[in-house]
Amino acid sequence: MPALPDAFVQAITDQFPPDFASVDPQDLQTYGRDWTKVFAPAAAMVVLPRTTEEVSLLMALAYAHDVAIVPSGGRTGLAAGAVARDGEVVLSLQRMRHMEPVDVTGSTVRVQAGVITELVHDHVSEFGLTWPVDFASKGSSQVGGNLATNAGGVKVIRYGLTRQWVLGLQVVLADGRVLELGGALEKNNTGIDLRQLFIGSEGILGIITEATLKLTRKPGHLDVMLFAVPDLAGVLRLFRALRQAPLQTMAYEFFTDICLRRVLLHRKLRVPFATKSSHYVLLEAERAEQLEDWLGQLLEQGLIDDGVIAQGSVQAAELWALREGISESLSATGTPHKNDIALPIAALEAFTAELGAVFAQQYPGWEIAVFGHVGDGNLHINVMKPDEMNMADFLEQTHAADALLFSLVARHHGSVSAEHGIGLLKKRALPYSRTPDELALMRGIKQLLDPKGILNPGKVL
Amino acid sequence: MKILVSAKRVSDPNARLQVAKDGKWIEGDVEYVMNYFCENAIECALQIAESQDGVETVAVGIGDEDTARFIRQGALARGIDRGIYVAAEESEIDSDLIARIYEGVVHRERPDIVLIGKQAVDGDSNQVGQLLAEYLGWPQATFASKVELQGDEAIVTREVDGGLEVIAVSLPCVITADLRLNEPRYASLAGIMKAKKKPLEELEIDDLDLDDADPKVKVVALSTPSGRKAGVLVKDVDELIAKLRGEARVV
Repeated sequence: MPALPDAFVQAITDQFPPDFASVDPQDLQTYGRDWTKVFAPAAAMVVLPRTTEEVSLLMALAYAHDVAIVPSGGRTGLAAGAVARDGEVVLSLQRMRHMEPVDVTGSTVRVQAGVITELVHDHVSEFGLTWPVDFASKGSSQVGGNLATNAGGVKVIRYGLTRQWVLGLQVVLADGRVLELGGALEKNNTGIDLRQLFIGSEGILGIITEATLKLTRKPGHLDVMLFAVPDLAGVLRLFRALRQAPLQTMAYEFFTDICLRRVLLHRKLRVPFATKSSHYVLLEAERAEQLEDWLGQLLEQGLIDDGVIAQGSVQAAELWALREGISESLSATGTPHKNDIALPIAALEAFTAELGAVFAQQYPGWEIAVFGHVGDGNLHINVMKPDEMNMADFLEQTHAADALLFSLVARHHGSVSAEHGIGLLKKRALPYSRTPDELALMRGIKQLLDPKGILNPGKVL
Repeated sequence: MKILVSAKRVSDPNARLQVAKDGKWIEGDVEYVMNYFCENAIECALQIAESQDGVETVAVGIGDEDTARFIRQGALARGIDRGIYVAAEESEIDSDLIARIYEGVVHRERPDIVLIGKQAVDGDSNQVGQLLAEYLGWPQATFASKVELQGDEAIVTREVDGGLEVIAVSLPCVITADLRLNEPRYASLAGIMKAKKKPLEELEIDDLDLDDADPKVKVVALSTPSGRKAGVLVKDVDELIAKLRGEARVV
């Protein structure tokens, strides 16, 4: 692990307030990792700027002294994109949490990158508005991290990804220059959209310090339903019916009985159905007059075996807990190997059938917990470690299994990382979804914006 | 045997309410849910009906127009046989009038048991079951956490301060349901579809020939809880202890 240059450390001490940097071992541990626990953190320093000027000055110094920087938000990522494992300086934006007053007419708000996602929701809520970037970690994740990873979540079917909800960006480049991209304009066709280049770049092209977020009206009363369906084909048939329904869908999530069993092992929840099913669908939609008639048709047409509607927010939360408790329950009751893939919706059924066949043959007896968002083709495939297998064997075998899985994803024109990003964890997988030409272009862009390779080195490419 | 159960809608306890401009009621886009204790009463009636033959269950809801939807979705969809909706302005009825309305319905229906939620989670009055038993001259078993029928008696376990009390009341009787009585079932889709065809009678207060149909309690003012004071960051443990001692006086 290379030590930080003395001149850089001296400059930090000279040019910033005393609480700007920390080398406290506890801080280095905390700020050096994200929600992935695969890599041991080994940061050399943590810096906590309060302003864009401080970020700019820091980057100019890092550029001059060839110091590697790992940008850091709420560290809730699942691809080790915010992990510092090689003596880097972690640049945490958590002190940059100023929010400007909401522009109600323009439906926008300007915020600093360190603002926690949920606080944006609270800030704009009284005007009947929301920033529709929403997922389980919204209480910890930060706007800068949401943007840098182009975060997804359970509402993507309704609102799309984070990149659709950003009008302007302020970015600090590797050498400290500050770019203002886009401002608050909805329409701005003036050449290449550089703003979108930084969104989803996982901190390898620049540091996002501020953003003008696009807002939308808060949804009305929501109905939450859970359906039992016989198989994945049934999940897709129901989804087709939903596409034609007079409903504004907010979420369409599915999970298998294997997931549900793990949730019930871990948490004291009840299943609202008397009979077991192999597949379940959670539907959230804005309240509509026609809902009951539509549900009646589903029953008549045999599209669902059983179903319930939550009466009130308590039951709605109970139904959501069955879905949102999956990830946590898999980790609490076993050792999952996680994959986050996306496929064209039309290919989902053929893909899962092939996947089942391949795994049954190559890895008999392995428990595979599949759940996902369906509406956007996103499947979370969790391979559970068989109890009797040791960890080293499991890692080796999942490595080989991943190659099979990724080839299958590629053959069906899918993506090897739907919403978690690439970070350190998915680098091997990237060539399955991107061609050599595309990768060469990405490297060219990286070289142009970060010629010294000091921004989040080792990530993505 | 016939069981009458309450089906009251309440403003969602998890929603933030807005006080109306006159300061006497709530306004805006209020989300309503079935009163939790009524859900327990409904579940209890259903379990009795499932455990023996010849039990008819009837849900009674009093309130604004939307109450009829709650009777259908929250009671009939779960399995209650039929409903009675009594139209009333919710801002103009008090616990006493509600008890008298129930009394009127009881005279029409002649049930063996009236199962009522022990209180509404919005108004928190906890009076209707007790008043009704008094007006009917029936025995009452409040705060029930267990109900068993034996012949012409109901054996009811009551949650009282510091423990449980088991009492026997003769039928007909009034029982008020507590939260631990049972775990209310979800309304299934099949149930919701069946509920559409179940009878739901609509009544006005005038239809019940009450001797006294005037409310006795007036709401003078409503207000929202005062906001919490912002927290402060302390520099170290010493400052924290000093503040706990000096300002908060808790240590």
